[in-house]
Amino acid sequence: MNGTVASRDWPRPGVPLIDGIDKVTGHARFTADLDPCGALVGRIFRSPVSHGDIVRLDVSRARDLEGVVAVVTGDDCPRTYGVLPVAMNEHPLACGKVRYRGEPVAAVAAVDAETAERALALIELEMRELPAHYTADSARAAGAALVHDDRPGNLERAVHHVFGDPEAGFAAADLVREVRIDCAEVNHAQIEPHAALADYDPATGQLTMQSVSQVTFYLHMMLAHCLQMDESRIRVIKPFVGGGFGARVEVLNFEIVTALLARAAQGKVLMQLTREENFLTHRARPQTAIRLRLGMRRDGRMTACECEVVQRGGAYAGYGIVTILYAGALLHGLYAIPAVKYDGYRIYTNLPPCGAMRGHGGVNTRHAFEVLLDRMARELELDPFAVRRMNLLSAPTRTLNELLVNSYGLPECLDRVERASGWRERIGRLPRGRGIGMACSHYVSGAAKPIHRTGEPHAVVNLKLDWDGGVTALTGAPDIGQGSSTMIAITVAETLDLPLERIRVIAADSAITPKDNGAYSSRITFMVGNAAIDAAQRLKDILSEVAARKLGVRREDVYTAAGMFLARGSDATAVSFEEVAKAALVGEGTLTIKGTFTCPPESQGGKHKGGAVGATMGFSYVAQVVEASVDEDTGQVTVHQVWAAIDCGHAINPLAVTGQVEGAVWMGMGQALSEETCYLDGLPAHASLLEYRVPTIIESPPIDVQIVESHDPLGPFGAKEASEGALASFAPALVAAVANAIGIDLDELPATPDRVVEALIARRRRARLKSAQESAP
Amino acid sequence: MTAAAGAFRVVEPADVAAATAAHAGEPGSRYLGGGTDLLVNLRRGLGTPALLIDLRGIAELDGLACMAGGARIGAGVTLARIAADPEFRARYPALCEAAAAVAGPAHRNVATVAGNLCLDTRCIYYNQSEWWRGANAYCLKYRGDVCHVAPQGRHCHAAFCGDLAPALLVLGASIEVAGRAGRRRMPLAELYRDDGLAHLTLAADELLVAAELPADPPPSAYAKLRVRGSVDFPLAGVAVALRAEEGRLSILRVALTGTNSRPFLLDGTDNLLGRPLDATVLRHLDRLVQKQVHPMRTTLLQSNYRRVAAAALARHLAARLAATPEAAR
Repeated sequence: MNGTVASRDWPRPGVPLIDGIDKVTGHARFTADLDPCGALVGRIFRSPVSHGDIVRLDVSRARDLEGVVAVVTGDDCPRTYGVLPVAMNEHPLACGKVRYRGEPVAAVAAVDAETAERALALIELEMRELPAHYTADSARAAGAALVHDDRPGNLERAVHHVFGDPEAGFAAADLVREVRIDCAEVNHAQIEPHAALADYDPATGQLTMQSVSQVTFYLHMMLAHCLQMDESRIRVIKPFVGGGFGARVEVLNFEIVTALLARAAQGKVLMQLTREENFLTHRARPQTAIRLRLGMRRDGRMTACECEVVQRGGAYAGYGIVTILYAGALLHGLYAIPAVKYDGYRIYTNLPPCGAMRGHGGVNTRHAFEVLLDRMARELELDPFAVRRMNLLSAPTRTLNELLVNSYGLPECLDRVERASGWRERIGRLPRGRGIGMACSHYVSGAAKPIHRTGEPHAVVNLKLDWDGGVTALTGAPDIGQGSSTMIAITVAETLDLPLERIRVIAADSAITPKDNGAYSSRITFMVGNAAIDAAQRLKDILSEVAARKLGVRREDVYTAAGMFLARGSDATAVSFEEVAKAALVGEGTLTIKGTFTCPPESQGGKHKGGAVGATMGFSYVAQVVEASVDEDTGQVTVHQVWAAIDCGHAINPLAVTGQVEGAVWMGMGQALSEETCYLDGLPAHASLLEYRVPTIIESPPIDVQIVESHDPLGPFGAKEASEGALASFAPALVAAVANAIGIDLDELPATPDRVVEALIARRRRARLKSAQESAP
Repeated sequence: MTAAAGAFRVVEPADVAAATAAHAGEPGSRYLGGGTDLLVNLRRGLGTPALLIDLRGIAELDGLACMAGGARIGAGVTLARIAADPEFRARYPALCEAAAAVAGPAHRNVATVAGNLCLDTRCIYYNQSEWWRGANAYCLKYRGDVCHVAPQGRHCHAAFCGDLAPALLVLGASIEVAGRAGRRRMPLAELYRDDGLAHLTLAADELLVAAELPADPPPSAYAKLRVRGSVDFPLAGVAVALRAEEGRLSILRVALTGTNSRPFLLDGTDNLLGRPLDATVLRHLDRLVQKQVHPMRTTLLQSNYRRVAAAALARHLAARLAATPEAAR
């Protein structure tokens, strides 16, 4: 374990997020709250058709409208961009061809919103329409029109991985069962809509960009690439961000468009997207069809797993290759399975591009897996907890696909939720219509191999100690509400034995803070936390040296406690942090200390193609129990209570861990109960918070969160991720609870009331058919 | 950011006569209550009135009175106020339950009775942005020629989705309407017709002044089918008023919303009077509902589900009411 913690007493309550008060009092300034003084209003003209060649695009009338300062089109950015270097196939504004309804085609900057709106209406677009494909099946069919000419069969990526001997595994099984599960596409629906403020200074040729990004470094890089500007002329600042969940882990078209407009206008442009445009920008979890087969011995031990996944990826690559790889890689790492075969297909369609979303890639396959495990347990008359316990890993270990598992708190998670939910006393004894179900899940603590292999450390934190005795932590890690800045403050404070108030965190301003790869794959706590501890430890070493001189003792006899440096053996001799800090600056001036972290090579995955995806330093583990009831007349599913236990290695801030687990459970509940996108010929019919049904407070059940600490040897203070792991076990636990309540096995997500009623009608029909057959002579 | 609404002027008349006069001066103008329906639609480009006539300052529209001879509800009374009124809750529970079921608390604090009764009809092809509707060649209800729900017909199937109307229908409400030509009274049912394009029978200059309810109402209740317990419009909404004498039904009124282009009183419930509310009667009731609701693909949830579940709600409500001591006398 890296670093040492001052106080390890449990339970520790944790601390509120250091920026929490600013947010709840309204003082926090989000991108749309930034000074719009002198800013033009940016608006995007979007394609009305799903698929077609641009025959004519005439923006002259828009350009001529009084009050319009700039109009940009695909001609202003001939370069493609994208988050993965191998799949940069998107233009910020369509060039020659559009691939989904709502794709940006042109953009205007005008003196006010009304003028911008009028200008959009003056843009003339003539298209030659091409056949459009809205399902993976239709896009894969022979003769389908190609979304991208260089991708035959509209296949973005196929993955074929075999580990162990599946055939032998299935042969050794007493029970082999298969499910086909369909998970609807969902969206992050983060509360803060997308916005960006770009300020181009014509005198210096410098661009300052403020945006809702989770990946300010990528944004910086892509702006330089697309605008063909020198990186050093660009500054990217992240204001307060109102949630990301993956919506902003790749550079988004509107960000580049805003910068293009600012440069064209030689000034400042504020772009605020509508909720509909947020849904069009999308980049969320794809609709996924899963065929999963498991082999099991009579005692519940798994012998083999075979899984085929088809993801409807939308029109551009984005993170798609990573998503389809994660879907297979994360079949591993939760249980011990001797053989796993995975076939994944990521398909291009004429819909808004999918991307990364909390639990990236793993959620839907985990759902299918846990659902099938539950059904097989039932068939074998085994308790679902017992089946999980038959298949536990034993840490430290490496999975078949060479993922590193150094810590594994799942057994304790199982014990905790089994006990807390009263499982043993209640299972099978609830009245009809009410049920309980359970499931497990896990998630990576940071992708160990970065997307861009630069040879740099994976995380850098700078600490500045100045004459005022304050410690300022400078980090490129964007706090997007997940609490990463608070985590950095705590790790620094605990390492230096200082009160939290003495630490100030400045995050994500490229002119001030060191580069960071960003808020994705739950990497920040593990990587940046370790870098922060490293920096604080280095600072502590320097200060201890100074304190030793002041105290007149040897360096190794100096220790810290509660803001003091003390000499071992003589408690009377102590000197305060402030005094030591002042002394340390003599002859040196302001101290700037750097800490770094690099993921060890053994964590960076197997040598097989795609082996880097899923590779991480450690996994969080979650066991979850859901109690629900079902109204068989209206199909309404009501969640009454959730118990979730997470192994996050060590809770650096228990309050934040609890909040993150509640959030993940709740987001899983949205996907399980009511959230789904629905396109009518490629038009998003769901593109408002009225039709896209995020649960309300009325649907929100009490969530009992239990924290299990397995003390990961590589983690900062032993910590692992805590924000994503709990999402994936909600839906299968809910589906198991519904089965337990009314005996219906749902094969589709979300479990909306119409699907439940449909399943009940189908069951009655089957029963009638059966009795008719039996009574037939 | 929401798209900018077109420019309009706002006037604030002091009384009903001034309001209708303002309308006469600008025939395309619209009356504004809480704005939770109208303003959302205007921001989506659904309509471009030059003038909004803000009715919120008119004292006459703000009265709420529960008297021995009945009740009078001013058109401008907010839904939150109705939902919380103890006298109304005791006498007209269906109405208060319906008011409390509308949207979310912030909406109910400003949304008005008239606004809910005159709510525009809704459809997944209509309640979309200007860009969306334009990309889809618009629709029969606004600027287009085709109803995308039923492209063969020449009829708009947008559904009426107000929650109050069915409750007021089973409670026997009448309404008072004012226009340039004067005032008139009519049963609430006559406010509506089954046409998504023009579901209100009001003349353009007419506005609702009040709804009136008879005294001694039968016990009543409202239930709303929706995916979420808040925010959502009804996929179907059902109000029931019921009384039984010596175990036999003497009053049974059922009204529905969310399934057709108008809210309506269910036909044929009189045939069930004089019988005990047993399984057979409930089955009949179920069949009546399933036959008379016409949910179309105006929502993202399946029409058949809305039909089946609306009938189930009606059964539940009737059975629940019949079991209360107030229903028997």
